[in-house]
Amino acid sequence: MENHEEYIVEMRHITKRFPGIVANDDISLGIKKGEIFALLGENGAGKSTLMSMLFGMYEPDEGEIYIRGKKEHITSPNQATKLNIGMVHQHFKLVSNYTIAENIILGIEPMRRAGLFPVVDIKSTNKKVAELSRQYGLEVDPTAKIEDINVSIQQRVEILKMLYREAEILIFDEPTAVLTPQEIDFLLKIIRGLREQGKTIILITHKLEEIKQVADRCAILNRGKLVDILDVASTPTQIMANLMVGREVEMALEKSKPHFEQEVLKVQHLTVKNRDGFPVVKDVSFSIHAGEIFAIAGVSGNGQTEIADAVAGMCRVSEGTVSLMGQEITHSSVRDRNDLGVSYIPEDRQAVGLVLDFDLADNLALKSYYKPPFCEKGILHADAFDQYGSKLIEEYDIRSGQGIHTITRSMSGGNQQKAIIAREIELDSKLIIFVQPTRGLDIGAIENIHRQILKERDKGKAILLVSLELEEIMALADTIGVVFSGELLKIAPADTMTTNEVGQFMMGVKQE
Amino acid sequence: MKNKKTNPFLRRFLSIMGDEKRQKITIPILAILLSLLAGAVVYLIMGKNPLKAYLSFLQGAGLFPKGNYAAKRSMVTDLMSMLNAWTPMLLASLSVAVAMRSGLFNIGVSGQMMLAGLVATVTIGYSPLPAVLAKPLVVLVAVLVGAAASALIGFLKYKWNINEVVSAIMFNYIIRYTVSFSIKSFIADPISRQSRAVGPAARLSLMDTEIGGLKMDIPLGLILALVSVFLVRFLFQKMKLGFEFRTIGANPRAAKYAGIHVGRNLILTMTFSGALAGLAGATYFLGYYGSIQPDTLISTGFDAIAVCILGNSNPLGILLASFLITVIDKGGIYMSSTVGVRQEIGALITALILLFAACGAFFRYFIAARRQQMLDADHAEKKEAEV
Repeated sequence: MENHEEYIVEMRHITKRFPGIVANDDISLGIKKGEIFALLGENGAGKSTLMSMLFGMYEPDEGEIYIRGKKEHITSPNQATKLNIGMVHQHFKLVSNYTIAENIILGIEPMRRAGLFPVVDIKSTNKKVAELSRQYGLEVDPTAKIEDINVSIQQRVEILKMLYREAEILIFDEPTAVLTPQEIDFLLKIIRGLREQGKTIILITHKLEEIKQVADRCAILNRGKLVDILDVASTPTQIMANLMVGREVEMALEKSKPHFEQEVLKVQHLTVKNRDGFPVVKDVSFSIHAGEIFAIAGVSGNGQTEIADAVAGMCRVSEGTVSLMGQEITHSSVRDRNDLGVSYIPEDRQAVGLVLDFDLADNLALKSYYKPPFCEKGILHADAFDQYGSKLIEEYDIRSGQGIHTITRSMSGGNQQKAIIAREIELDSKLIIFVQPTRGLDIGAIENIHRQILKERDKGKAILLVSLELEEIMALADTIGVVFSGELLKIAPADTMTTNEVGQFMMGVKQE
Repeated sequence: MKNKKTNPFLRRFLSIMGDEKRQKITIPILAILLSLLAGAVVYLIMGKNPLKAYLSFLQGAGLFPKGNYAAKRSMVTDLMSMLNAWTPMLLASLSVAVAMRSGLFNIGVSGQMMLAGLVATVTIGYSPLPAVLAKPLVVLVAVLVGAAASALIGFLKYKWNINEVVSAIMFNYIIRYTVSFSIKSFIADPISRQSRAVGPAARLSLMDTEIGGLKMDIPLGLILALVSVFLVRFLFQKMKLGFEFRTIGANPRAAKYAGIHVGRNLILTMTFSGALAGLAGATYFLGYYGSIQPDTLISTGFDAIAVCILGNSNPLGILLASFLITVIDKGGIYMSSTVGVRQEIGALITALILLFAACGAFFRYFIAARRQQMLDADHAEKKEAEV
């Protein structure tokens, strides 16, 4: 038995359940002061949930949390802050039209009196932030606005926010997902620097290399269970990988040889500009055949979502052409594309893919409500919605509290995604676009979706898959295209590329 | 665990309030009850009997018999006069609701009503046309003018992304001054300083008409208003167009993704909303009131926003909410004379209702949190019992 005294954070027998899933199952672990402790696991393994409980965003159903040897009930992030715990979330929580300094002091603004009225003392804040950023080597301009700085600087602001609140235990949730390779190196250097200053660091990640580079110890989670806690320096990467996946045999999808048929989608010299007129997709050309899965790999924010949006008609094409079955659809409306045979599973299922306040029946008919039997002469037929909804719920095993009348907001993420996929597949389109189809889902749901994608391919659909998960791409793709900074750097049959090579193209390291 | 037991009153309250679906009905009712309670406190502070006051509201609105009536007057007279005032309020609230369900805020209803009223007055109101022609023409002109005025706001939003609230407020000013200028320059009545009263042929309410020995006002427009309630309901429940409006209102990004032409529907929504506002204007200026007062923007279009919130943007909810508000408004005059307080107390109670109605989100949050607590406590208890 290890000595409990030395732990700054100790979690004992933590269990957390969500509807339909046990996110954390009896997890016990201890973190020592001044170490970099990594939590390794696949998406949906329960890493973020576990740390959210330490940060007070959820409360565990069972188990206890000890901070500095004292049992604590952490019920809110504010309380976690008081216990000197800080967290950098995967999605930054910053006010974009405030300056860096203003964001850092938000909620604990230092006040001074100007005559009768108390005002925020922004001058001294700017100075203090500048000092803090020098101390930790996190150079920022305190007066710059968040909207004017890039993601990596925004992340520094999040780190400074924790340090300003005198956090001693720093939690990083997937900090490198949005960064370029150079930025990753810099971040890891900062993390090491923080350790030298005596901070305790918890790093949530599914990237082995990063753990190998900085972490002292590493806990491996798999499907909500703690697999092992390892000393990083003395454990080979391969062993960690095996433990993390833990089911290599199961993982291997049965994938038959592809049969390419006629060309379905042809994209030529596609250029898409963002609102500021800056090109985010640059001269991209590719084509997808019936029976082919064309996967676009790349680090987030390199133009892959815009490519999908342009094909689906959700954003304007500046230059180039998009054609479906030989017919040009570059400037066609979304509706026309639907009717011609484009299905789209969007990246943000809640903000784009669903109307959360509608019930399941309405959402399942969202792409076909205007056609018979749902609608005749402008009048909707409720029973057609109900029948169709019930049929899809049955066929695609969509689970919900009240069947077709369930408000989709109350459904779990996995079932929301199932509903979208059911709706889009059922349209029987020639082209199906999947963007990040398994993001944030548990492993069961992921496998289910992967099987569905392969099934649609085997039915002769052309599939455009955009994913940030390299493993997903390697498992599914027939052809891989790698985007970097808006350009398609490389297109090649999947079996001619190794994961490593794809990774190098993704980082923009390797060029042809 | 024993001290953590949910208070039985709270438990009872929570079970009455029900789940989210039921709360759409129970929360507005709760808001009304709370405001009547708060109003009662006001009466008590002033040393008056609140029950007597509330009864006299009903009496003034013709829903409960008064002690005595003047010649050729009865409860029916009061009721008809209340219904006459109700008609434009109901239509204006529907106008707000159509926009609100589609995620738009039509704060220009008052202006649209006034413009529609002016154009209908000038074109048909003073013409020698017989009633069978004049009345339908008044409705037609007002609907077209209201629709056009509101569609312009929608177009500005579609074309240049001009916020509809800002442009509607600006249009309210433009219309108010244009209407005032027109009235004073061309159609002012030298005595009342308002526009000359419209002819009886064009008027949508039959004023002081004798039926069965009683004199009363008959609001013909009420039939149109009630039909509109069911048309709006049909639009949102049964029609493809209504489905598209609702989708845009609930999530414009998902609407675009579903292939709905968001911009076109935006203009259409505002057109429908404006058509109802125009109809409200006709029943107000050429029905209930009979002339137009310059220099003031009527409050109906703004009260309608609050009625719409109280009625949950639902046509049937609005039917009841606007009725209630009109009863308090019209009954206030009689209440003032019987109880001996100022008529404004009626407006105060209306304001309280709307204030509590606007707290709906808080009630929902409060109830949801307490329900969860109750369920958790029950769960824990059950677990303990098992052990």
